[in-house]
Amino acid sequence: MSNSVNISVETTCENQIREIGYDGTELYQPPPTLSESLAKCAARIDFSKTSLDDLKKEEKTAAAAEEENKDGTQFQESLWPWDAVRNKLKDALTEICVLSDVISIAKDKRYLVLDPLLEEGDDTKPIVQVYSRKKAISQAAQVLLSGAERLRNAHSEQRSRNVSDFHIELLRLRQNWRLKKVSNAIIGDLSYRTAGSKFGMSGTFEVTKAEEASDDDSTSTSTTSSTATNNGMQMKASSALRVIVPAELQGVAYIKVITQKDQEDLCTAQVNLMGHGPNITAQVGVWQKTLEFAQNVLFCKELFAQLAREAIQLQAPIPHVVIGNQIRATLLPNIQLIISLCHSTTFDSNQPAPINDHDHVLEHSLHQLLREVHYKNSHHPFPHPASAPLGPTKKRMLAGPMAADRETLLDMTKSQTILEQIIAQAQHIFMRKRTQYVLDTLARDVKDPQIVSHWNAMNSPTMSCVKINIVTHGYDAIGRTSLVIHVKERSLKCICRDGRVMRLSYEPQELRDLILCQINSHQISCLVSLARCMAWTVLSNSNHLGIGKVEPLGNASSCLLASPNGDRMIAVQIRCDPQIDVKVYIARSPRQDFFPSPLVPEKLWENLGGNFKEVKFDKIEGKSFLNKMEFLMASLTSNTA
Amino acid sequence: MGVTVLQPYPMPEGKSGAHIIDYLGKRLLSLGATHAGQFLVDCETFISTPQPHNGTPGRAVHVLHNSEYPASTFSIIDSGTGKQVSLVADSIFDLLMLKMTNTFTSKKQTKIESRGARFEYGDFVIKLGSVTMMEHFKGILIEIEYKSCMILAYCWEMIREMLQGFLNINVSKDFPTYFATQTIMTAMGQQQLHAKHNDLYEPTDTVKQYLEQFTNYRKHVSMHGSLSGTSGIQQPVHMSSSPVMGAAGGLVLIRS
Repeated sequence: MSNSVNISVETTCENQIREIGYDGTELYQPPPTLSESLAKCAARIDFSKTSLDDLKKEEKTAAAAEEENKDGTQFQESLWPWDAVRNKLKDALTEICVLSDVISIAKDKRYLVLDPLLEEGDDTKPIVQVYSRKKAISQAAQVLLSGAERLRNAHSEQRSRNVSDFHIELLRLRQNWRLKKVSNAIIGDLSYRTAGSKFGMSGTFEVTKAEEASDDDSTSTSTTSSTATNNGMQMKASSALRVIVPAELQGVAYIKVITQKDQEDLCTAQVNLMGHGPNITAQVGVWQKTLEFAQNVLFCKELFAQLAREAIQLQAPIPHVVIGNQIRATLLPNIQLIISLCHSTTFDSNQPAPINDHDHVLEHSLHQLLREVHYKNSHHPFPHPASAPLGPTKKRMLAGPMAADRETLLDMTKSQTILEQIIAQAQHIFMRKRTQYVLDTLARDVKDPQIVSHWNAMNSPTMSCVKINIVTHGYDAIGRTSLVIHVKERSLKCICRDGRVMRLSYEPQELRDLILCQINSHQISCLVSLARCMAWTVLSNSNHLGIGKVEPLGNASSCLLASPNGDRMIAVQIRCDPQIDVKVYIARSPRQDFFPSPLVPEKLWENLGGNFKEVKFDKIEGKSFLNKMEFLMASLTSNTA
Repeated sequence: MGVTVLQPYPMPEGKSGAHIIDYLGKRLLSLGATHAGQFLVDCETFISTPQPHNGTPGRAVHVLHNSEYPASTFSIIDSGTGKQVSLVADSIFDLLMLKMTNTFTSKKQTKIESRGARFEYGDFVIKLGSVTMMEHFKGILIEIEYKSCMILAYCWEMIREMLQGFLNINVSKDFPTYFATQTIMTAMGQQQLHAKHNDLYEPTDTVKQYLEQFTNYRKHVSMHGSLSGTSGIQQPVHMSSSPVMGAAGGLVLIRS
């Protein structure tokens, strides 16, 4: 639906200014009168031209001519257009006259003859056109085919070529490493600088095209490449590009951590970056392995330099010793931690394989600790305030508004160096191994109550927990003694069920003694519960008897039971000697050996209870102490009311 | 960080402040306390400009620092009506106040501070402070902190006993005025009795107590300066010379 819109068109009706007076008045040229405009239009008609194009051309030239004429003769305007029309008409008349003269002369046939022309046949047959078009098309096809041929060749060449292209290799290299072009050379960076490392050694390598002539005894990189191929990996024999790493980063390096006890190797650890990432060397060239090794060397050097610096600066009770490429630190008396940097520049394939008891934990820890240092160097903790210094941790930022006191602030400033942390971790590993050993040997040696230890699955690098249950087989419901041991770096903390907290040092004997004492008290407390089950009365029990010889370990514990009838009494004494030593005595009342004497004449005094006689406890039937006691109590219980 | 109580020490006639501090310090050392550094609590007041027209005093902003919390700056806004708003901020707050000179001017002459030695005695931290305002000695303020407790009601008796022991003055049985029961308006609009001595103690409470004492010292000056003669609030603490029930406790000696 379209509504017609009325459009009004107006001319500007502005007349040209002919003259501007000195006082500002403008003299307009009067608009052309009707007769003047008619004269102008008539002047445009050119009688000699017939077609429209010619007319248009004539219009332009006439307009140009008019522009020129206007400047000269301005006062003859009224006459001039008609003059042009008159001239044109005169010319047209002249031509018509000429034409008529020619026709009349030609009609006479005396001076001018008109002869017809022979028409030429159509020369171009369709078949010729076909041939010419075919030729043109075949030429075009030729061009296209040659181009396609070239592309096909290039494509098949790419697939089947044995020699890799320099540029493709360079592209792969760029995908993995940082490269930049400096004048003519391509320089790469394999250091950890962008990850936050502040190590001074530069890790720049140069990338060049590999020479076609095989000169594989000059540079070590090519040696690396050839020996790397000899290692049995299915790799391309040569690569189109070669990387040149600095001399100090060539070869293979690793950090070896050994815990030594009096010159014996207890456990070793290796810190190595290799072998942990995805294996991409099969796809890319030899240079990947070279660069990875060089980066590993750089990482190991940085780690060792950091550790050596800290070893010299730290004040330890027994000072750390730094000799050449080895750092010796004392963990516990007689136990040393040796960290050494092993750097071999010749890559021999018969290098001893990494030592079998590889401590992955220490290895990973050292790696993580250095990476943590790098991370802290490059990342500032949030928040990033606009008006306060950047750098303090979140806790320190909050310390102001939360009114933290001086001790809290002092604690925030304490931090541990890498060496201190790794020493703490190594000490803890050692303490844990020792504790495990003690508990396992005790569990193996002591059969009577069973010692069950449950180690926590989640630990921290410097603390582990183990829960120990001491139960007698078959009598678990009667009672169990449990305790928790926190294994720290140089000490143990033992928390018993009754709330006693004991702190032990790193000596294994202390833990052994503690467990033996716990076994001691376990036996008596289970016996007390068992007696209750058997309806025997517990007359007394004590965990710390002070009678008899002074024990080398702990105190003797004892228990005194009376039968339901009251006619038998059992006395049990358990000592830690250091073997658990059990003595059982029984007494009967009325006493058998009562004879009235002049001093004590009444018979009733026989009910006072007899002497205690020792029982050959080893000969009693029974699998365990509690079992034997159960049988004993059962046999001594009589039915007499 | 535990309960802290401020106790102004009444100055006996004729003795100088330094002498008293020395004497108290010696008593503490002989008790077995260890000298552990110095402390400083200072207070600067800013008055809002322009002064409001209806004659009420403009709002005052008190900026306090406590060396026990070195990373923080405390600030209390005191509108004339008695309502106080407190703020704990980072040390950079001082720089912020410098930029507020258009709204607040600092009254330098009322800058007041308490400075002195710090003693540690078991779980107690005792500070003997001499209060000075523009180099004029004003008095002695004892601060005692019991680090193991966070609620005054549980340990007031022990603190009082300790104070009476080494200061040799009579400390009243009631809670200090700062901790007295107040009536506050709840959110519902009802009035309620609020016992401050049952609240968890915060570092701002220490600073507010200091502000209260400093204000008293300032008023003391203005009272004396205007020569108003006898006035109600002369000494903020009572010192009675009557013998006290402490004789039964055995720890307190009052020498009259």
